[in-house]
Amino acid sequence: MTQEQIIEKLRTMMRKTSQAKVDWDAVNTDSPIASLGFDSLSILDLVYDIQQELGLEFEAEELVKVKTVGQLAAFLAGKQK
Amino acid sequence: MKKLRHLLEYAAARFGFFLLDRISLPAAIALGRRLADSWYFLNKSRRQIAKENILKAKIASTDSEANRIARDSLRHFAVLAVEYLKAENVLNEGNWKEHVELDVSPETMAIIREPGRGIILVSGHFGNWEVAAQILSYIKPVAGITRDMNNPYTDRLMKQRKQRDRYTLTPKHDAGVDRLLSVLKKGEILALLIDQHASERGMPVDFFGIPASTHTSPALLHLITRAPICFGYCLRTGPMSYKFKAVAPIIHKPTGNRQHDVHTILEQLNHELENAIRQNPEQYLWAHRRWKIPPPRVS
Repeated sequence: MTQEQIIEKLRTMMRKTSQAKVDWDAVNTDSPIASLGFDSLSILDLVYDIQQELGLEFEAEELVKVKTVGQLAAFLAGKQK
Repeated sequence: MKKLRHLLEYAAARFGFFLLDRISLPAAIALGRRLADSWYFLNKSRRQIAKENILKAKIASTDSEANRIARDSLRHFAVLAVEYLKAENVLNEGNWKEHVELDVSPETMAIIREPGRGIILVSGHFGNWEVAAQILSYIKPVAGITRDMNNPYTDRLMKQRKQRDRYTLTPKHDAGVDRLLSVLKKGEILALLIDQHASERGMPVDFFGIPASTHTSPALLHLITRAPICFGYCLRTGPMSYKFKAVAPIIHKPTGNRQHDVHTILEQLNHELENAIRQNPEQYLWAHRRWKIPPPRVS
């Protein structure tokens, strides 16, 4: 999967789990994840969805350093075998 | 007016600790029971909630039996508070085995003893969960989450009293995902209570056959970190005597259906808690509005 494809999938997953009203079409690589309406509970939902829908294995705490959608997509792209 | 009330409560708490540190354990327990009886008599609304919960859960079928269990439950929690505060001076790393019988599944014990392996230990407001955390901390560091008290002065006093080297309590507002994940990454025990009403963010899971809004985070943490999750509790068997019981860990393979996976795990945990409560209903905190809002059943 390319990084762009991952971002598209992330947009869909985030739209499902976010607690806030966000203009998802405007979300891009620089969008801070913290601004997208995730609290500690919905972040756990999102990590589950990412692990299962993308079929990637990673340690959840590796995501702590990830701040933007672009960084998340790059991180996930790097986890592809 | 609020500040004055808080300061008066703080003064009462300081006096209470002063007294507690100077009287014997039997005297402190007897005093705690008397205070519990007074509170039970005076606090009609909590008394009513407890009795209704006991009848709703079919633990008792008559009002008088529900009343007895509700009163004994409150006495138990007064004793719990006394023993927890006294435990600082009684239980230590050298003697805790004289006070605690361990009844832990071999698989769970192996994980607890394994250095560097985190585990999520789930319990309820049952038995003496605070002493349980203290006991376990002698084997492996324990991290729990606490809710700040409404009174900031007594809150600070309790936190100063409760903090121990290997048993740390994080305030709920500080217990972000990164904090919880780091506990498991460090190979510690993450101790969580599962039986508080979780409002609209919770998942309806049957508790005594009635849907109760249940926190999803314990199950989600297990699913995304693969850290084992197990149910355990610490029963009081006599003055400063306990039995710590923990069942085999749940290792649930994610199916891709998050709602289903979370519900399955929570259902299992609630079921374990129900079983424990049925055997010792007087040691459960019945005065909490567990079924506050009747959520719809999940099909």
